[in-house]
Amino acid sequence: MMTPKNNIVIGIIIALLVVASYNVDANPIEFIEGLPNLAIVVEEMLLVEPKYVPTAIWAMFETIQMAFIGTIIGFAIALPLSMLAARNLNSKYVYAPIRALLAAIRTFPSILWAILFVIMVGLGPFAGVLAIIMYTIGFVSKLQYEAIETIDSDPMDAVSSIGVSKWQLIRYVVIPESASHLLSQLLYMFDYNIRQTSILGLVGAGGIGFYIINYIKFFEYGKAAVFMLVVLITVLIIDWISVKIRDKYIIKSQHGMEVTTK
Amino acid sequence: MKKIQMIKNQTLSLISTKKIIQMSNVSTSYDSKNFVLKGINLSIDRGTNYAIVGQSGSGKSTLLKLMNGMMISSNGTIKIDYVVPDMNDKKFKKMMHTIGYIPQSLGLIKNITVIENILIGALPRLSKTQSLFKRFPEHEIQEAKRILKLVALSGKENRKVYMLSGGEKRRVAIARALMQKPTILLADEIVSELDHVTAHEIMDLIADAQKRMNLTAIMVHHDMQLALEYANRVAVIKEGEKILEIGVEGEKIVDFQTGDMSAEEIMEMYNDDSKK
Repeated sequence: MMTPKNNIVIGIIIALLVVASYNVDANPIEFIEGLPNLAIVVEEMLLVEPKYVPTAIWAMFETIQMAFIGTIIGFAIALPLSMLAARNLNSKYVYAPIRALLAAIRTFPSILWAILFVIMVGLGPFAGVLAIIMYTIGFVSKLQYEAIETIDSDPMDAVSSIGVSKWQLIRYVVIPESASHLLSQLLYMFDYNIRQTSILGLVGAGGIGFYIINYIKFFEYGKAAVFMLVVLITVLIIDWISVKIRDKYIIKSQHGMEVTTK
Repeated sequence: MKKIQMIKNQTLSLISTKKIIQMSNVSTSYDSKNFVLKGINLSIDRGTNYAIVGQSGSGKSTLLKLMNGMMISSNGTIKIDYVVPDMNDKKFKKMMHTIGYIPQSLGLIKNITVIENILIGALPRLSKTQSLFKRFPEHEIQEAKRILKLVALSGKENRKVYMLSGGEKRRVAIARALMQKPTILLADEIVSELDHVTAHEIMDLIADAQKRMNLTAIMVHHDMQLALEYANRVAVIKEGEKILEIGVEGEKIVDFQTGDMSAEEIMEMYNDDSKK
C-alpha cells in the first residue's frame, strides 16, 4: 500500500542509489558505449581452439576433485561444530562461542582463504583445497545448525524422556530428522564449490581458473573460451545430477513428513 | 517386642512398595501467577490402570510430564517409586529408562523404519560403541521382533514410519515404550484421534501388555466412557484441580474422593462439563 511513509522510504532508497552510483562511477552511458568492446571479445572467443579441449577437461577434472575433497572434509568438520552451535541442544555457554568462531570463519571469502594458504603451503591445488575446506566449514555449518534448530521437538522430547545420553539423542534423533536437509546442503555446497574452485586459480591455488586467468592476461580469448565452456558444461551437468538426487531422496522424504499423524 | 517391631516394619514396607506414584499438594505454573495445576493429590498403586480425564487445557498433559521428570513442579512433593523426578538427578535418570512415555504427537522419527524406532527403547542398555555404530545386540533385535508381533506389526518392520496409518503409528509408539521394559507407561491421549474400532484395538493392546508385564499404566483421556471401560481408577481434572476420583468396582462406579456421589451424578456432572 502506498502510504506517505512508504513514499519517503522509497525516496530515500532512490537517493541512496544515485549517491552510491556517483561515488563508484557507475555510469550507464559508459556501459552502453562499452558494448562494442564486448562484441570484439565475443568475436575472438568464437575462434575456439579445439586442440585445448583435452587440457581443459583435465583441468576441470582437477577442479572437481579439489571441490570434492573440500566439500566432504569441510562438511565433516562442520557437522560436529554445528551440533555444538545449535540452540536446542546446548546451553548458551557452549553455542555462543562456537557461533562466534563460525561467524569469524565466514567473514573471509574463499579467495582470501586461498591467498592465505598459497602463502602457507605454496602455489597449487592443495592451497585451493584448504581454502574450500575453510569456506565450507563457515558456510555450511550455519545452514546445518539452522536445520537442526528447526527439527520437530516432539521426537526429541519423547526420546530424551527415556533418559538417553546427548550423543544418543544426536545419533538417533537429530541426524535422522535433519538428514534430508543435510543431504540437500551437501549437494548445494558441492555445486557451489565447483564454481568457486574454478576461480581460485586466479590467485595460484590450482584448478581450471589458473588457465583462464593466464589466457585472458595474454588476450588469448579463443583459448580461454575453451576452458570457460568446459566450466559451463560441467556446472550444468552437476546441476542436473543434483536435481535428480534431490528428487529421488529429498522430495520423497519431505513428502513423508507432510503426512498427518492421523 | 522386637519381633512385633519387625513385623510392623515388614508390613510398612509392603504397604509402601505398593504405591508407585505419590503426589501431594502439587502445583505448577509457567509464570508463578497462572497455575496450570493446583493442589493435586494423587496416589497410584503399582499395577493399576489409571486414567486421567479432563477437557483440553485442564492440565492433564502437564500432570504426565511431572511424572517422568520432563517438568518440575512449583510446589508440593512428587515421588515416583520413592524418588523425586528430576532429569538432572542420576538416580532418577536411571529410572527414566523404565518409564515409557507416549506423547500425544507420538514423537516417532518419521523417516526411519519401524524396527529402528522400536529399538530406540533399548538405547539405555547399549554401550557407547554399540550405540555409536548402531550395533544392537542380537537379543535386543529378537526382543524388538517379539514386541513387533505383540503389537501386530510383524512384516512391517522395514517400513518407514511416515508410510503407516494412524493406528499403526500408535502401535509403533507403544512398542518403543514396551522395548524399554517399563514399570510405568504414560500415554497422552493416545486414542483421541482414532475411530471407535481402532481406539478399542489400541486400548486392548495396552491393557493386555499392562497385565502381561505388570505395568502401571497412566493414561490421559478425553473420553470418560473409554476411561471407565479400561481403567481401575479415573481422576477427573478440571481447570488444574482434581475434582473427582472414581473407580469401577464390579458393576458399580464408586466415588473415592468424597464418597457420596452416585454413579448417575458423576456421569451427569462430567457430561455437563464436556458440553461447556
